[in-house]
Amino acid sequence: MALLETRGLSKNFGGLQAISQVDLKVQQGTVHGLIGPNGSGKSTFFNLITGVYKPDPGSHIEFDGHDITPLPAHRIAGLGMARTFQLLRLFSEMTVLENVMVGNHCKTPYGVVESLLGTSRVRDSDRQMREEMLELLEFIGLARFADMPAGELSGGQRRLLALGRAIAMKPKLLLLDEPGAGLSPVNVDNLMETILALKERYKLTVVVVEHILKVVMNTCETISVLDHGQKIAEGPPEAIKNDHAVIEAYLGRELPDEEIRKAIRGGVTAS
Amino acid sequence: MLALLDGIKSVFEALGRVHRLLPWLVAYLLLLPMPQVITLIFGEYYVDLANRACLFVLLSVGLNIVKGFCGQVTVGHIGLYAIGAVTSALLALNYELSFWISAPIAIVVTGLAGVIVGLPSVRLEGAYLALATLGLGESVRIMLAVTPELGSSNGIMLIPAPAIGDFIIESFNHYYYLVMTAALIGIYFSFVILRSSTGRAFQAIREDVIAASVSGINVPFYKLLAFVISALYAGLAGALFAHMPPGFLHHNNFTVIEMVTLLLMVVLGGIGNIWGGVVGAIVVTVIYDQTKDYYFYQPLIFGVTMVLLVVFMPRGIGGVIGQAIVRRKFIEKHEEQNLGAT
Repeated sequence: MALLETRGLSKNFGGLQAISQVDLKVQQGTVHGLIGPNGSGKSTFFNLITGVYKPDPGSHIEFDGHDITPLPAHRIAGLGMARTFQLLRLFSEMTVLENVMVGNHCKTPYGVVESLLGTSRVRDSDRQMREEMLELLEFIGLARFADMPAGELSGGQRRLLALGRAIAMKPKLLLLDEPGAGLSPVNVDNLMETILALKERYKLTVVVVEHILKVVMNTCETISVLDHGQKIAEGPPEAIKNDHAVIEAYLGRELPDEEIRKAIRGGVTAS
Repeated sequence: MLALLDGIKSVFEALGRVHRLLPWLVAYLLLLPMPQVITLIFGEYYVDLANRACLFVLLSVGLNIVKGFCGQVTVGHIGLYAIGAVTSALLALNYELSFWISAPIAIVVTGLAGVIVGLPSVRLEGAYLALATLGLGESVRIMLAVTPELGSSNGIMLIPAPAIGDFIIESFNHYYYLVMTAALIGIYFSFVILRSSTGRAFQAIREDVIAASVSGINVPFYKLLAFVISALYAGLAGALFAHMPPGFLHHNNFTVIEMVTLLLMVVLGGIGNIWGGVVGAIVVTVIYDQTKDYYFYQPLIFGVTMVLLVVFMPRGIGGVIGQAIVRRKFIEKHEEQNLGAT
């Protein structure tokens, strides 16, 4: 069963076609990889399905049986879609615990007025939530830093916290935007292990955008490849590794010597 | 000094563990004899000053919710204060409603006005939002200044003082109990809000709007809510101001200069820091009053102070003290560990 499905998804930024006619299905319970060279539209794709950007007319996004195309970001989040950002976007001046508590916002069982009055029901449910969130922090290894401002964590810890904040939403679908960016190879391996452990523990479906191909090849069941806003290939890792279109997108086309010479000569005369 | 503050803090925290309202009750009891103490040491005039300080505490705590917690710049707060004051005053004068009815109505009306001041925040940010709210706030004052029914240049006079049965609260000492209670309750609720899911939503919006929205926070709704809550504070302060002896209000009470003074209180105390805002309100009110003879230079001095604060002490007094306490704790912990190691 497809948890997320896009049909004819397009986005045009004042003439630049960032995403064009992308059809993509993410199956329930899988780890789905999304790769592509720089500027191929991976982040835009995330921004479109999470409601940060509005897709162009004619696009259709379905999530867990709901048509989410016209919904604002917070409603989509409420349906069970969580994401991380490439640049993390942590709430730096709030504590680590508060960060994950914000993640838990949609699960708040009481209304706004009640929360403002601080009734006993609010205090009880907050206490319970606090314990739950501390447990989550324990699981990702940040419980020691619960009362520290998020901005004071180290780079790797911040990545974990961003992950924790997304998990705190108890999502059905987790979108990870380059979770390994800027980490050393050892840390990346640890991070992927954590992600897989979280996936098992919380029964998640994961879509991951990643530049480090090794990570994607090892962890994903299906991989989709974007180039210039279009989906150029999709399939299991082995098939993607040997796909001509993919190799071309990443490494460029192989040209006969004659054409290369011509291109160089053309360049020289032009200058 | 720091040790004293830290000591007071831990005493109140210990009280809070017995019952969460106990520290507030103790604080209330400690504040009760203040008018007598102030009269004894400084004179009766200073009780009036304390009353005004309490009103500014309410305003600054309310402004902190929208600016400090939610990160939305507003320069229209003083306009809301004016709406609260004038609404309550006119209801009392024209319809002979008692303070206890006119004030709640004024608070609700101000809350609704808060929605209007907050609406630009859905689309605008930073300086543009400041300009939009400045326009709204200033237009309120100008409306008061040109409409005879709203006082125009004469102001509104003979606003009746609040009464409980036959007892009229018109001396400075008695009014103190009213405004001090209101201020303390205001501070208490601002802590409740800060620690609630709503407070966390406000802060998340301040820190990162996009991350907040994908975390499931309805950003426009919470922005408006922050404006409305701060407007309720302003409305309460306004109503209390209107009925305060001598029962006179004038549009000059609500100028941009007053707004800058109000901002200075929040910035001096530390944006987002509740106690900082309270201290800032008291300090600035006292300085403002004591330098009245040089009123010509006040805007200049306050403006320069503001710029210096933003550059050299962006977290205000509250931030500096908070940091010093954290550092002290850190050093103590470190020393303990060192002792344990040897």
